[in-house]
Amino acid sequence: MPLNPKWQVADENEFLLRSWDDEFVVYNGATGDTHLLGLVAAQVMLKLQQTPTDAVSLAEWVAPLQQIEPDDEFVLFIEQILTNFDSLGIIEHSRL
Amino acid sequence: MNVSALTPSELRSRLKEAGIFLQIGAFVIHVKTSIRSVAEGIGLLYADYPLAEDVGFADFHVRLISPGNLRRWFRPQVLFSFDGRIPFKPLPLDQAFPMLEWGMNWCVSGHAHQYLILHAAVMEKQGGSVIMPAPPGAGKSTLCAALVNREWRLLSDELALIDKADNALVPLCRPVSLKNESIHVIRKFEPDAVLGREVRDTMKGTVAHMKPPAESVAQRHVTARPAWIVFPKYQPGAPTRLEPQPKARAFMHMVESAFNYSLLGPQGFQMMANLVDACDCYEFTYSNLDEAVAVFADLKLPAP
Repeated sequence: MPLNPKWQVADENEFLLRSWDDEFVVYNGATGDTHLLGLVAAQVMLKLQQTPTDAVSLAEWVAPLQQIEPDDEFVLFIEQILTNFDSLGIIEHSRL
Repeated sequence: MNVSALTPSELRSRLKEAGIFLQIGAFVIHVKTSIRSVAEGIGLLYADYPLAEDVGFADFHVRLISPGNLRRWFRPQVLFSFDGRIPFKPLPLDQAFPMLEWGMNWCVSGHAHQYLILHAAVMEKQGGSVIMPAPPGAGKSTLCAALVNREWRLLSDELALIDKADNALVPLCRPVSLKNESIHVIRKFEPDAVLGREVRDTMKGTVAHMKPPAESVAQRHVTARPAWIVFPKYQPGAPTRLEPQPKARAFMHMVESAFNYSLLGPQGFQMMANLVDACDCYEFTYSNLDEAVAVFADLKLPAP
């Protein structure tokens, strides 16, 4: 596996999403589960719906939206989000 | 004709023979039993409900049966029958009326999937409804009983029914289930409240049911607009406190309170989201009922 693997939203997943303030609820039609997401997690998910992306690239994409620097700590935060998404079946490793 | 038009002996006789068809909001429930305490409970607490004898149809057919085995001589029991099936274990005969109430809740929550169903009390005042989801012991029914004795209309003490077509709240106005200390609290709060017999040693402790206000029963077909979602929490000695709840978090709490959210799939998600969208959401801590009622009286309708 590459050091910085790309992730994508799992093929079978279909999401419904609603947001209030900076929090989101997401319904996964494939599992029937509903998740509560913060703003960064929601931005990560939306990006992965568009295109397979690795953690560093995600950090570089999300950080300006949050008006912060994409430093190592932020990359680690993104990796934690990806780990959570993976455990919930929301995302999978990309073959691209 | 209302239940109150029957004498106690006529009611007992009807219940024993053909049963009665109770019109409870959107549902007709056919109840048949020869158990005296059930007849007494219906006679007292359902007095204002119309009998739907000529409809010839019931959504649910329920019977309360006292088994004719040896147990009838010692520790007599009661069975709840639904459409000819026995879904629960028997309970002591003394608990027959509470079992009817619990059984009717089960009938609706387990079968009426034309609605999104939440475990929540619902009350309405001046065009706005408050939905109060809560786990057991949170003081939901006590607060509900207090509010409906202070000009709020009772839609339901236990089950919020949300219409798929327009997200309106559909009444299921039935007696309010009070437990343990809350029985005494409500007797003291509203001495004119009509309560049924106290039944001890049930799985919920001592229970008694409060008769719903006649005006609420009369409006049993009038749907209501959701305006507030309030998560109540009774805390002895706590100051009265109403705090806004972020909507996404309210959504997740509502999902936990729903009976059939998962069953409804994407439609359930959209309905729940529309409901949360339409409401102001709060956490509410209380210990004093008068103060609690005053807070609810000051709720302002959300902007459309």
